[in-house]
Amino acid sequence: MKRFDDLHRHLLIGLAIIALFALLPLVLTQRYLLGEVVVFFIWAMVATNWNLLMGHAGVFSLAQMLFFAVGAYGMAMGVTFTGMSIWVAIPVAAISSAFLALVIGMACLRLTGAYVALLTYAIAEMVHILIITDTECFTMVRNNCQQLFGGATGFSRFDDFGFRPLLKGNWILGNYYTVLAAFGLTILSVVCIIHGRLGLAFRAIRDNVGYASSRGIDRKTYQIAAFALSALLTGLAGGVYAAHYRFAGPSLFEFSTLMFILSMVVVGGLGSTWGPLIGTGIMMIVVELSKEMGDARNLVLGLALIVFVVLMPRGLAHLSTTFARRLNRAGRSGKKKSEP
Amino acid sequence: MDVLSQILITGLTLGSMYALASVGLSLIYGTLGMFNMAHGLFMTIGAYASYSVAMAFGIPLIVGILVAMATGALIGMLTHLLMVRFMLGTADFGTNILVATAGLGILLEDLVLKVYGGYPYPQPLKVEGVTRIGNVTVTYQALVVLAVALVLILGVAFLLLRTRFGRAIRATAMNRESAMLMGVKADTVFLQVMALAGMLAGVAGLMISTQATLSPQMGGDPLLKAFVICVVAGLGNVWGAGLCAFGLALIEAAIGYYFGVRFGFPAMLMLVILVLVWRPQGLFGRETVVRL
Repeated sequence: MKRFDDLHRHLLIGLAIIALFALLPLVLTQRYLLGEVVVFFIWAMVATNWNLLMGHAGVFSLAQMLFFAVGAYGMAMGVTFTGMSIWVAIPVAAISSAFLALVIGMACLRLTGAYVALLTYAIAEMVHILIITDTECFTMVRNNCQQLFGGATGFSRFDDFGFRPLLKGNWILGNYYTVLAAFGLTILSVVCIIHGRLGLAFRAIRDNVGYASSRGIDRKTYQIAAFALSALLTGLAGGVYAAHYRFAGPSLFEFSTLMFILSMVVVGGLGSTWGPLIGTGIMMIVVELSKEMGDARNLVLGLALIVFVVLMPRGLAHLSTTFARRLNRAGRSGKKKSEP
Repeated sequence: MDVLSQILITGLTLGSMYALASVGLSLIYGTLGMFNMAHGLFMTIGAYASYSVAMAFGIPLIVGILVAMATGALIGMLTHLLMVRFMLGTADFGTNILVATAGLGILLEDLVLKVYGGYPYPQPLKVEGVTRIGNVTVTYQALVVLAVALVLILGVAFLLLRTRFGRAIRATAMNRESAMLMGVKADTVFLQVMALAGMLAGVAGLMISTQATLSPQMGGDPLLKAFVICVVAGLGNVWGAGLCAFGLALIEAAIGYYFGVRFGFPAMLMLVILVLVWRPQGLFGRETVVRL
């Protein structure tokens, strides 16, 4: 049998995951649960992209939610102000997110390590502050003052995907498959990046910057490329989010939201391929449980981050690969013993 | 002239608070190589601790400052003993510790919220009254902030430059291994640095709360400014951080006066990015030759 290389193997896993989720509505019919799976898709897209940037390309950016917000706001503003179709607004928002990342990347990625983390965090926070302190009315919507960037309340009640009149009671299924398509596109592209030539370059830079650059792989260029690519897909997630919830507001910039996504990446495993998906599932369930036990969300997030970084810095994905390897080895040595 | 002195006074008050916060942050980075995302919460907790003691016993401001210092130092030491100690020297320490301290920050903020609630309290430890310098009104509290910051920063400078303890810290910051070979107990130094930085943060928190109110999120904004100050000064450069704190605060005050307060920080950040394009190692950072 022909051995698959990494890229094809992971692409097959990705297709299997997408197929599984495509069949899920056959067994899962409650609207609430389907809604939760849609939320899972969205957060998993953000976490996967952050892992691409942080775990593979080695850019420790804290502006991930900024690009998500640009996607969401771009889509909301496009629909609210220009009246463009939602199917045009989402790609436009994603592309503007990538452009913004290009500009921020060119300014910040002259630096490395903790400097990048601090500057990207400061920029995201600056945008947050500028948006919530904006009080100037741009237009009037339904006799309410509408600021250019939504002010402290943000945008809401704009057009969604438009499945409600089409599918009536089953509109959630329309949303489900649309978000699944975006999710599938994201995970397949990220797999192609990680296990393709770009990913090789990223790993070369991570392992030895000097050697990589002497072979023509410039750290800054490749990291800016990773920054823009991950912002493009994160912006897509943001646009889909805004369309699903019909909302885009400053709560997206909150520190606890950022930590929520970060905990998904860290728990799942930085630098792995499928870790963020595992992490997203686990953290969503854990946070849901912690909400029921009194409002302990942030406590649990903080604890999860500390415990995983201190005890298991490579996350659950690494744990499962070592476990599989050990099992494999045990199986092989068992076989050897059985055939004398 | 009046405008100028108004800007000068606002800038100096802001600058003293920023300096208290960023000197500690920079000290930790220089010695441990760790960026403390929980520093803002050290400030918040210092402020709340002195608030609680003041409400219970009605202490004067000077005792309040001591309480804030002690609480900050305690928190800093606990952070080191319970968390940082186990991570020192592990792979990817720089980024992992950022994640861990960010987690600690959100955890502590939630604890403060659970204990005190989200209602913004006024800080009782406050000197009332105003004086006039020329035509400009100055609150006594602003003068207190300035005096406290100057005394503490000079004190830290004295500790670092003139004592055995300070020499050990500077040696560890320069080269951890050689310092250890010379008989410096690096573990003790780390603990002392965390205590010292926590102490400064605690006082910074108390001072900030006298200018605004107490709330669980009060540390976020000064932390952000302290980040930017440390980055522009060059991470780990303690003197540069102190100077940049005053410089950037003056610029922020001037822009806040002429263009509106909401543009103060964005303008400051733009300036910082321009500076970094020109000097990536920061204004006071020395260019280092890295062996790849």
